[in-house]
Amino acid sequence: MRYRTGAIAKRLLFIPVAVFIVITLAFGLVNLTPGDPALVIAGDLASDEHVAEIRAELGTDKPLPQRYAAYVRELFTERSLGTSFFTKRPIWDEITQRFPDTLELVVLGLLGAVLYGSLLGTLSSYFRRRWPDTLSRTSVTITQSIPDFFMGLLLIYVIFYIIGWAPAPVGRIGLLDRPPDRVTGAVILDTLIARDWGLLKTAFHHAMLPVVTLALFYSSHFAKTSRAVLSRALNSDQVEFARACGLSELRVVGYAFREARTPVVTYIGILFAALFGGAAIVETVFAWGGLGQWAIDAMLKLDVPAIQGFILVVGLLTLLVYLLLDLIVVALDPRVSYE
Amino acid sequence: MSRARLVLARALPQRATEPSEGGRAGRALRALGKGALTHKGLTIGFVVILLILLAGFFAPLPHDPIQPNPESTLQSPDGEFWFGTDRFGFDVFSRVFASARLDLPIALAGTLLSIAVGIPLGLAASNKSRWSERIMRGLDMFQSFPLLVLAFAIVALTGNTLQNIIFAIALVNVPRFIRLVRSEALVLRESRFIEAATAIGASRTRVMLRHVMPNTMGIVLAQASLAAAHAIIVIAGLSFLGIGITPPDASWGVMIRVGSQNIATGQWWVSFFPGAMVFVTIVAFNMVADGVTRLIGRAED
Amino acid sequence: MTAAAAPPTASLLEVTDLRVQFRSRRRTVHAVNGVSFAIDEGETVGLVGETGCGKSATVRAIIGLLKSPGRVTAGSVRLEGTDLVGLHPRQLRQIRGASIGFVPQNPFGALNPVLRIERQFRNVIRAHGRGRRAEIRSTALDMLDAVGIADPERVLRGYAHELSGGMAQRVVIALAMVLNPRLVVADEPTTGLDLTIQRQILDLIRDLAETEGRSMLLVTHDVGVVAQYCSRVLVMYAGQVVEAGPVRRVLTEPAHPYTEALLAAVPRRGERLVGAQGTVPTLLELPPGCFYYDRCQYRSDPRCATEAPSLREVGPGHWAAVHYDKGAGST
Repeated sequence: MRYRTGAIAKRLLFIPVAVFIVITLAFGLVNLTPGDPALVIAGDLASDEHVAEIRAELGTDKPLPQRYAAYVRELFTERSLGTSFFTKRPIWDEITQRFPDTLELVVLGLLGAVLYGSLLGTLSSYFRRRWPDTLSRTSVTITQSIPDFFMGLLLIYVIFYIIGWAPAPVGRIGLLDRPPDRVTGAVILDTLIARDWGLLKTAFHHAMLPVVTLALFYSSHFAKTSRAVLSRALNSDQVEFARACGLSELRVVGYAFREARTPVVTYIGILFAALFGGAAIVETVFAWGGLGQWAIDAMLKLDVPAIQGFILVVGLLTLLVYLLLDLIVVALDPRVSYE
Repeated sequence: MSRARLVLARALPQRATEPSEGGRAGRALRALGKGALTHKGLTIGFVVILLILLAGFFAPLPHDPIQPNPESTLQSPDGEFWFGTDRFGFDVFSRVFASARLDLPIALAGTLLSIAVGIPLGLAASNKSRWSERIMRGLDMFQSFPLLVLAFAIVALTGNTLQNIIFAIALVNVPRFIRLVRSEALVLRESRFIEAATAIGASRTRVMLRHVMPNTMGIVLAQASLAAAHAIIVIAGLSFLGIGITPPDASWGVMIRVGSQNIATGQWWVSFFPGAMVFVTIVAFNMVADGVTRLIGRAED
Repeated sequence: MTAAAAPPTASLLEVTDLRVQFRSRRRTVHAVNGVSFAIDEGETVGLVGETGCGKSATVRAIIGLLKSPGRVTAGSVRLEGTDLVGLHPRQLRQIRGASIGFVPQNPFGALNPVLRIERQFRNVIRAHGRGRRAEIRSTALDMLDAVGIADPERVLRGYAHELSGGMAQRVVIALAMVLNPRLVVADEPTTGLDLTIQRQILDLIRDLAETEGRSMLLVTHDVGVVAQYCSRVLVMYAGQVVEAGPVRRVLTEPAHPYTEALLAAVPRRGERLVGAQGTVPTLLELPPGCFYYDRCQYRSDPRCATEAPSLREVGPGHWAAVHYDKGAGST
């Protein structure tokens, strides 16, 4: 136990350093890359004065160290990420407004990916080299080779256009529906709170295709990991002894699962973090209106403060997820203690 | 033929046996080429990629891929336009094949660049020194960024030139090569023939370049194929979002983007054919990776 | 092959002409080739042989846990009259743990790393019936006490990695015997433990067997262990029992050249066995004659090369698979 708390303390101490590095990286990415955003924003025909104006507004006319100092100062003293070049709204507001939507999509998509992927992996490892294994591995080969956005389009064509099970792939609820009162900002959660069951159904209906898209695409990771780990676990001495003691097959698979859960949980954490940016394309396909779609818009328009704010927030979020992940892994496995 | 086998066995290490001594990368590659003949998946994957690439450059296309036909927009596949046309009147068939001219070379160049950066860094990180600690720590931090979005942002900020796209792809893929080469080198350093080389007084650099590095080539090649598959997805994603390659240049991602506006109204062909091409290319790269893994005896079953 | 070493009275365990093959697309390994033996109530039988002689496959076939692609292709394993080969998996599961206790090689591998020991006891006991938490707890405490764990309360609360090697094996033995099985199968239960602890563990297993009148099949490659702990011994070679009989007789007057080589290879008790000269034949294709032909120093009978010898009685209760009578000439 002593060692465990020690390891955790060490990680906690590292956090301020990591935060600082993330801030610097986010700043560096936007400010050290070659190219002048002001020129692009202004367009080819703009006058020099206009370009200079934009530069002044973006702050890119000042020397680099000064900009960095100002950026960090603003961040810590005013807790501000700056304002969007185009909407003039604070970046922080833009992000928090959209964050719940993305969170909902990521959580549901990841849940689907974990369930479907682990199911495939379990079937694969339990019926190793028999037809369920072949079937599941073929399915993995296919889903991991279709880019998520193309998968989304295929689903739209088949399930919306041909079969008609899904609503038009635009937004979270119907165009004419009145959105629920904003409590958490997450549409599904808010309809639940408002006990608006009809709207909840619509929200789930709209979430179906994007969630399935993410789940299918990312399930291959879990299928492969769980197959490898479970196969090893099902062949282990531990499982043999459990069987020799007469434990039921269900229990035995449960024992194997316990061995597999650390890598699977690790994967969940890593993907969870990665999806806040990674879901951007799927958000765009389904006009989800979340963080990712907003960031892509910002990139297309070269809204420099927005891009910078997005990178910073996603970086910090990842840091947080990884920290939680470490804590969870330590809590799950009594052996992790000797570091 | 038997000599080729022998070379193959020597040049490509297997984990179960002692790694080979001093096999050169070139020899390993040549042996790999011969070995491909005995591995169906590897051969098929390789041939498919080669065909797509060659077709992109040399196949006679029925229509000009970057010249729209304004009088025939959004036509479904028929005798004239085999894969139909998009809403600008571009011939989908011609563009699907012409896209290989941009997409494949960019993917391969990006992968090569990430290998070129990844191998030396990976070797350096395998030394037990403060430097290696720093490289790995830095890598941890770097990887805790969502790399895909980072790549999007970089291309958006620096402009969508070919170099920038290649650079972004290399950036996304470099960490996996550093990690892979490092872990391989760490295992190899413990092996007996490296010990022997060190014992007869070979310098550290020499051991690294002549003994460790060549023995990582097999697994690096397998990883490179996976990285290339990933690169295809990244390029398609960039272009799909409008950040990467832009019309009228032909790229699978651009084509899927154009077709995405019509798919909900039933004109499936504009997006479907480039998407299917992406799928085939990725499967082919995965097959090559699988085959190489099997060939060097690293497959799990 | 007749019911070799089996006495006419019904035994607790009767293995008859057991054959095990590992079949893959490319090749078939004949791991066990017609093994027959019996174990009586309260008897401890040793099973010795080199690595790869089929000991492990025999044991796995008995408890019904052959790993794929291993399969019993012929023969029967009767426990108190019931044939375990081809028994429905659910019934077989009821027998494992309750009627046959299994003590594996590696105690750390055998214990679940992320479950508390108490939970593992509960799972085993509940797999064969119901039980209240408190009852199970006291049963487990008694059992841990019986295997010589000094602080059973603490062990019950802890995890496998907190135990020493000897303690872990004691816990494994307690788990294997907590349901009071009539037969204990111990597969090299002391490999990997240091010498003094090996003795303690073997003494413990013997004591537990003796006090409850259990039967035991003790698999080992250590002839010294057999000499000290078993009443009867089976010597395995290339998937066959080549010699069987009372320990004292087999060890002093070996009838099979392989047993002789085994004994000659024992430098001192407790040390590892160095095998006979040459190697075990690859069990991919079975030779027509005696499996030991290539390594045998006595081969003389013309049948040795062409006909596989079957077990025949060379003394009271002493059987050996040889064509000639070595003892007649030399001693």
